[in-house]
Amino acid sequence: MRDDADRPRAAVMPDDDPPLDPAGSAALIAAQRARVAAETDVDGRLLFGVWGAAWLLGFGALWAVAGDRPALGWSPAAAGVLFAGLLVAAMVVTSVHVARRTSGVHGTSSLQGAMYGWAWFLGFVAVFALASGLTRAGAGAGVVQVAMTLVPPLLVGVLYMAGAAIWRDRAQFALGAWILVVTIVASFVGTPGMLAVMSLAGGGGMLAAAVAEAVRRRS
Amino acid sequence: MPAPGDLDPVIHTQARLRIMTTLTALPPGDRLTFPRLQSLLDATAGNLSTHLRRLEDAGYVAVTKGHIGRVPATHVEATRAGRRAFEDYVAQLAALLTPPAGTRGEPAPSKGTSA
Repeated sequence: MRDDADRPRAAVMPDDDPPLDPAGSAALIAAQRARVAAETDVDGRLLFGVWGAAWLLGFGALWAVAGDRPALGWSPAAAGVLFAGLLVAAMVVTSVHVARRTSGVHGTSSLQGAMYGWAWFLGFVAVFALASGLTRAGAGAGVVQVAMTLVPPLLVGVLYMAGAAIWRDRAQFALGAWILVVTIVASFVGTPGMLAVMSLAGGGGMLAAAVAEAVRRRS
Repeated sequence: MPAPGDLDPVIHTQARLRIMTTLTALPPGDRLTFPRLQSLLDATAGNLSTHLRRLEDAGYVAVTKGHIGRVPATHVEATRAGRRAFEDYVAQLAALLTPPAGTRGEPAPSKGTSA
């Protein structure tokens, strides 16, 4: 018999589960908060991880087949197809993951997320339109490749920094700034070295961000 | 010194505490569809409805029926009053769980001062 069973408020909750004590309530709150976070947060470890891997391997493959003495015997087209495949895979993983985590959540943050998602989508449509525009203007394959190596990371860096401002995420801000610095460096390195810079420093930077996020979550 | 009996009885049950924790974990202005809330709580629809009605009666949650496309959907969100009540609950809980050191003789500030 609980000694407080006769206190008046006990009568208004006969509908329930076992009575709570303060420590039990605190534990319940902590457990449920952790669960909501685990099931609704977009996971930077996964997203930075897949994009970092796609850049590392994709730009790496492009670099390995480029230049006068390529490290790999593949045709440049094969490397291009590999890169495109990696980017599509990363995009699919991102879309599925974000859709699952944010499913059933509506209101302010879903509006923010949708606007941000459209910024990515239209931004990349514009990047591909740029490739076509350059070709029409008579740019050779070399010029188009330089543009297509540097402009996408430029857009990614800017969008990460803007996303960091929306969600006040310092890690994402640092990653966006890093990608822009890498893009600036790559611009001055020229071809085909810029591909190695984007692979190692760009893709590597994203993988480092994924690891940093994993460490942050463990502490 | 607050007593466990002072905790808001609308919130102070396992089911409703978990509902309020879930809804207030989202930023203000966000709402959850009924099925998503149900899955985050592992609750049955009937049980969840019962507790939501109690919270709605207290003004702590708002339940809105609308549509997503053409599919009817029920949304649930914590109201401003609900968020405040939950914050108060958490603060009271913290006060109950930290025994005031050496303040036995002092009057408890949280009791009898409210109008």
